[in-house]
Amino acid sequence: MTDAPLLEIEDLHVDFHGRTRVTHAVRGLSLGMGREKIGIVGESGSGKSVTGRAILGLIRPPGVVRAKRMVFDGIDLLSADGKTMRGIRGGRISMIMQDPKYSLNPVMRVGDQIAEAYVMHRRVSRREARRRALEMLEAVKIRDPERVYRAYPHELSGGMGQRVMIAMMLIPEPDLLIADEPTSALDVTVSMQVLAIMDDLVSSRGMGLMFISHDLNLVASFCDRVIIMYAGRIMEVCEASRLHEAKHPYTRGLLASLPRIDERREYLEVLRRDPAWLEEGGHV
Amino acid sequence: MSEIPAVDVRNLSVTFGTGREAVRAVRDVSFTVRAGETYGLVGESGSGKSTVLRALTGLVPEARGDMRIFGRPLTGTRDFAFYRDVQMVFQDPYASLHPRRTIDSTLTEPLLIHRIGDRRERAERVLAMLAAVGLGPEFRFRYPHQLSGGQRQRVAIARALMLEPKLLLLDEPTSALDVSIQAEVLNLLKRLKRERGLTYVLVSHNLAVVAHMCERLAVMNRGRFVEELEVEDLRRGTPKEAYTRQLLEASMGYDRERIDSFMTFE
Repeated sequence: MTDAPLLEIEDLHVDFHGRTRVTHAVRGLSLGMGREKIGIVGESGSGKSVTGRAILGLIRPPGVVRAKRMVFDGIDLLSADGKTMRGIRGGRISMIMQDPKYSLNPVMRVGDQIAEAYVMHRRVSRREARRRALEMLEAVKIRDPERVYRAYPHELSGGMGQRVMIAMMLIPEPDLLIADEPTSALDVTVSMQVLAIMDDLVSSRGMGLMFISHDLNLVASFCDRVIIMYAGRIMEVCEASRLHEAKHPYTRGLLASLPRIDERREYLEVLRRDPAWLEEGGHV
Repeated sequence: MSEIPAVDVRNLSVTFGTGREAVRAVRDVSFTVRAGETYGLVGESGSGKSTVLRALTGLVPEARGDMRIFGRPLTGTRDFAFYRDVQMVFQDPYASLHPRRTIDSTLTEPLLIHRIGDRRERAERVLAMLAAVGLGPEFRFRYPHQLSGGQRQRVAIARALMLEPKLLLLDEPTSALDVSIQAEVLNLLKRLKRERGLTYVLVSHNLAVVAHMCERLAVMNRGRFVEELEVEDLRRGTPKEAYTRQLLEASMGYDRERIDSFMTFE
């Protein structure tokens, strides 16, 4: 599935320095990924979103990022200067956030926002950017691209807003897409449609996708590989299709705590957290 | 089980606004919840499921139709007796608990309003209720921001139970929680129901949660009941309506092929 890895991370740590204590959000995470769909699953506070943001250099003080290695397609992200990072961010690695309501500029037409993303990273005319933006709106299955191009974010539903976000993030044709809970603000049928659009674009353009989610079943059915995180560490990595054969007690505990439509149980299993999990750290 | 239903709703409609601005949030909905039952209301956002629940509690003055709780018709402002019988648990415990009040103050308030007990009896009831929802006495004088999401939702459930109601209205009670914490809260709700003989109406967008908790459920879309079904129909995957089948398929996980056949239902 992978030739030369697209992204390599070795021993990543992210700490947040508070007034009285230091919070260790990510503790020694290592992973390598190619042009595949990799899922990062964990509960709130497990460090999954912070990992995504650290890759893009979006951790600001009092946050501190340390790693032995963090290399994207031959570029050392740890030593890259601001100019290099600006070229990568949005251009070669883009990120889709959870809720389009907070990620789109509310006073700018969505089409112009998409076109801007293109102009930023490619030397093209406004006119060409507009044409590409309209094409992109079509690619994310928006029925009336001309109308949506002129719309403001508040005029769009959640599903439409998230399609616009995807269009904006994919227009510079990045090599790696980081999607942080891209569908958890959406209704389930809309969410599936949005995932299908992402899936098709990722496979047709040969991108790598890092899919951050709290939803085990969704990740198992959507991704190729799954990384399970707990308290800033990787607990386990498995093939998505074999997640249900997971061995780590944390993964098994999470799976058992999920209510199921096709099964009748009086009480759900409650996860017992083992302090020893805080000492482990798996590698991918 | 008594003959009188816990909830009896006939031809409930809710329209917000007038003229061209009018939004018909609930359209001619009728259903009955038996005493001791857990009844689910399922639907996507904007389907009207929460509005039905809010109409029951009297939070929607626009509600039209006949609503009865344990046989008593509901009209206008709800009286004290109503709130003794019916209480609600909201989705977001971060928003539903007063940030500047201790847990003790939050739990005592309903007793003060209803003039129940003296100081010592109220303190006893607070401690007993904390224990019932699985929180120790050390939580009594803490503030909501000192609690985790799951602990806050336990407090919200404790608050709702302080007056010993017979019917609890649960509006997405676990959708703001992690799955492992969700399991704890759902287990707590099941145990409390058994111990106290409660009746639940549970609103959720999560079919698995509803299947786990409820005996019967109604599926809503655009303000209407699409169908009412037994939980067994859901488990076997044999709902009658296409809308419900699609919702069920989408809830089972990602399947690229199936998605192209999804339809929009008006």
